[in-house]
Amino acid sequence: MMKSLGAILALALAGLQLLAIAVVVFSSYFTSERTLLEHARTQMVDVGTNVIQHTKWFMSPARSAAELSTALASNQIIRREERENLEGLLFQQLRSAPQFAGAYYGDEAGNFVYVKRQDENVYLTKIVDVAVSARTRTKFIKRSESFDSLEWFFDPEDRYDPRSRPWYREAKAYRNSIWTDPYIFFTSQSPGITAATPVVGFDDRVQGVVGVDIEIRELSSFLSQLRVGKNGAAFILNRNGDVIAHPDPDLLITQTNDGGLSFPSIDTLDDPIARAAFGNRLSGDGVALDGLIQSDFEHQGQQFVSLIMPFGLDDIPWTIVLYAPENDFIGTIKENRTQNTLIAVAVAAMTALLGLALANKIHAPVRAFAVRSALISQGEVNPKDPMPTTYKELENANTTLVNEISQRRKTEAEYRLAFEKASRGMVHIESTTGRLLRVNESFSKLLGFSEEELVGTTFQSRISADDQDTLDEFEDRISGHASFGFEAKVIGKDGSPIWISLNGIFFQADADGGTYIVATIDDITQARASEEQIETLHREIAHYSRQEMMGELATGLAHELNQPLTAITQNVDAADYILGHAPDKVPDVKGLLNEIDQQAHQAADIIRALRALVRKDENIPDDFDIRELLVQARRLVRSDARQHAIDIVLVRGEDLQVRAVRVQIAQVVVNLLRNAIEAIAESDSNARKITVSVQSTDKFARVNVEDDGPGIADSLRLFSPFETTKSDGMGLGLSISKTLIEANGGEIWHEHSVKGTRFSFTLPLKGMDDG
Amino acid sequence: MDDGQFVFLVDDDADIRGSLARALGLRGYVVRPFASAQDFLENYEQDLSGCLLLDYGMPKMDGLQLQKRLNDMGSPLPVIFITGHGGVPESVEAMKMGAVDFLEKPFKQSVLIERIEAALETDRRRRAVDMQISGIVTRFQSLTDREKEISLLLATRPGQNSSKEIARQLGISPRTVDHHRARILAKMDVATVAELVETSLKAGLVSDHDV
Repeated sequence: MMKSLGAILALALAGLQLLAIAVVVFSSYFTSERTLLEHARTQMVDVGTNVIQHTKWFMSPARSAAELSTALASNQIIRREERENLEGLLFQQLRSAPQFAGAYYGDEAGNFVYVKRQDENVYLTKIVDVAVSARTRTKFIKRSESFDSLEWFFDPEDRYDPRSRPWYREAKAYRNSIWTDPYIFFTSQSPGITAATPVVGFDDRVQGVVGVDIEIRELSSFLSQLRVGKNGAAFILNRNGDVIAHPDPDLLITQTNDGGLSFPSIDTLDDPIARAAFGNRLSGDGVALDGLIQSDFEHQGQQFVSLIMPFGLDDIPWTIVLYAPENDFIGTIKENRTQNTLIAVAVAAMTALLGLALANKIHAPVRAFAVRSALISQGEVNPKDPMPTTYKELENANTTLVNEISQRRKTEAEYRLAFEKASRGMVHIESTTGRLLRVNESFSKLLGFSEEELVGTTFQSRISADDQDTLDEFEDRISGHASFGFEAKVIGKDGSPIWISLNGIFFQADADGGTYIVATIDDITQARASEEQIETLHREIAHYSRQEMMGELATGLAHELNQPLTAITQNVDAADYILGHAPDKVPDVKGLLNEIDQQAHQAADIIRALRALVRKDENIPDDFDIRELLVQARRLVRSDARQHAIDIVLVRGEDLQVRAVRVQIAQVVVNLLRNAIEAIAESDSNARKITVSVQSTDKFARVNVEDDGPGIADSLRLFSPFETTKSDGMGLGLSISKTLIEANGGEIWHEHSVKGTRFSFTLPLKGMDDG
Repeated sequence: MDDGQFVFLVDDDADIRGSLARALGLRGYVVRPFASAQDFLENYEQDLSGCLLLDYGMPKMDGLQLQKRLNDMGSPLPVIFITGHGGVPESVEAMKMGAVDFLEKPFKQSVLIERIEAALETDRRRRAVDMQISGIVTRFQSLTDREKEISLLLATRPGQNSSKEIARQLGISPRTVDHHRARILAKMDVATVAELVETSLKAGLVSDHDV
């Protein structure tokens, strides 16, 4: 089924539109998405860097304070012995930065001065003096903001020794400023970190260590205020993987098994998104990263982008991790994408409707033209009528079409005239049935019917019903697909037989495969009659020739027949005489009777052989034993042969049945044998022999008659009438033989053999179709 | 029949030879069969008496050719042709050459016997005549030259040739002629001149038109 032009246009327009929009929308979406994500990552790096800077800034005063105190201590600006001054120095340091939780100094002897924030505007000093008794060794002083002593007391139970603390040991061992790992301050239960700096004396020995505690809870609140995307967050890990800063500071303190407090490891942090953001990057060495890692991850069906960024500072081995949901950055364009897609579909639908309308408008003139073409070809509209308004291309097509149509009409008219007035018979035959679709005057006249009487009847009905062969052949021809020609006998209206020659060509009738045959028909009755006459003449000549041959053979045959008859009369006489006059020889009579019997059969054989030649020629092929025929033929010429002392040898061989008209073949064989006898008789040759042999070749039996005669001159055209070597012959024998053999589907030829001449002929074997 | 006469049979057909020889043999004929003319010629001796049953159509040398050969040889053997062909021209030719008969195969045995008998009789008689003639010739040879001359004159024109006439022709006396005549008659064993004439004719010494 052909599709309508309108539908194709509409669908194509809509489809193309949809495709174009989809390409633009998606391409723009993906580009934007990539750009935005790229931007998000950059932003995260900026935020990370910002956090690192902030942390540095946040922590650096502690270090400066420690180092300043150390400088003062080591430069003897503040003598260690003057604890009041040392406390004042530490007090001032503590007040210089709100994030400081405490400042202190411990020395090699175990003395310790410690100032820390107690409550708001209240400070607490702890002084350990190893030189006094245990009862007063540890003294606590509460002071106001202005360093006034509010109260003081001893704690005899306190056994604090600064030299055993990690900050002291580490700074002493390192002999330089150090940061301790973050830890939870015992007193405030806040996360913090200590900056410790050793005081080295002139003797290059560590005298003591200055420490400044700084609470890093502030870092967590800083992180909580930090904007990472809309819903993102950041947290900080220590080198061992402990989370030391997190927007939710409550998550940072966990109880250890021994009742102490510690930071949670990232692996155990009660924040699944944070855990997912860091992933499984914690190794046995803690957090060991080469550089920053930009990554993304999925948590509970939501897509996140993440940044893991080491601080890159020697003394602060921390790592900040930032993450934010993707949608914080590209949520809007995702929404936008859905909207755009909907818009695209709507536009495509509108375009399709528009296309349909447009196509209809374009198509209308084409349709009008198509209708007109159909009407023209049906002859309902004159091609010369004005065209409906249409396109230039269609106008050109119309011109061509009009020309074609008028040309076709002209051709049709010419063909009709040629068909109807042709001097030869012409018919159209339906190939499947043999029905006559159209006949012309000549054909009707030939059969004697009117055209009306013939059209619609089958061609087969013109063939005589008992002529099955012709009927079969015709049916066979029209069911094939090749052009054909054949001759047949049809019956005229008056019942007279008419020989026709029919030549047919197949034509395609219509698209669904029906064919018809256009056939020309010639009356060949006259030619046929002549052919038949010629054939009859041939047969008559053969017949007369055979009769003549019979006449020529008669003398020899009479002799041949008289021989056994004579022997019989003699034997009868002998028997008669014995019975009458020689009773003693009566037993011999039986032998005589046997001989008589044999001789009578010999005579009968001769008669039979004779009958093979005098049998009426019905011209009907029959199956017969060729050897038997050769034996009989030899019989017929034996008298002649004996006359000339010629042996006719029949070579033993297989028995072959051939299919031919027997009497005709007998005539040929006798003719060949007689020729051979004459050839030898006229020569002085001592070898007087004729050899007859039979052999089978494929589908034929081949008979050879070979004589030892002088041979035949090459110049002689054998098998042609009136060519002869004989003084008294007409030269018809071989010519007739050739006609007869060929009529029986065989061939006859001559060749020089070793000794003389050999004639050979073939005949189809029994059961072999000679067609 | 048993006076030393043979029935010679020449036929190339073994059946014919066998049956004919047997049938004739039973009747007491002494049959000598031959398969071919050559065969016969090799075995035949002229002084054998009898007749020849000769097949007309035979390979190589046919009956007619054999008859001619026998004639050439001066054989007196009477020939009866037996033929399967029976063509008129052949029979005429054969009869011209002195065949006694020409029988067409198959023939009635009685006819054949009759012909054989006739031929044998002819042969017998001819042989008797031959004997007579050879006697006459022998006697004639015993005459002197003058006697031969006179006897021929006598035999040629017995009526007109008187002693006187002969004497005048020869230039001798009539008495001498008479004398010679008596001697001739005595030597030739005849009684009269008429008998001399007959004998001379019989022996072929003179011919009819001479008389």
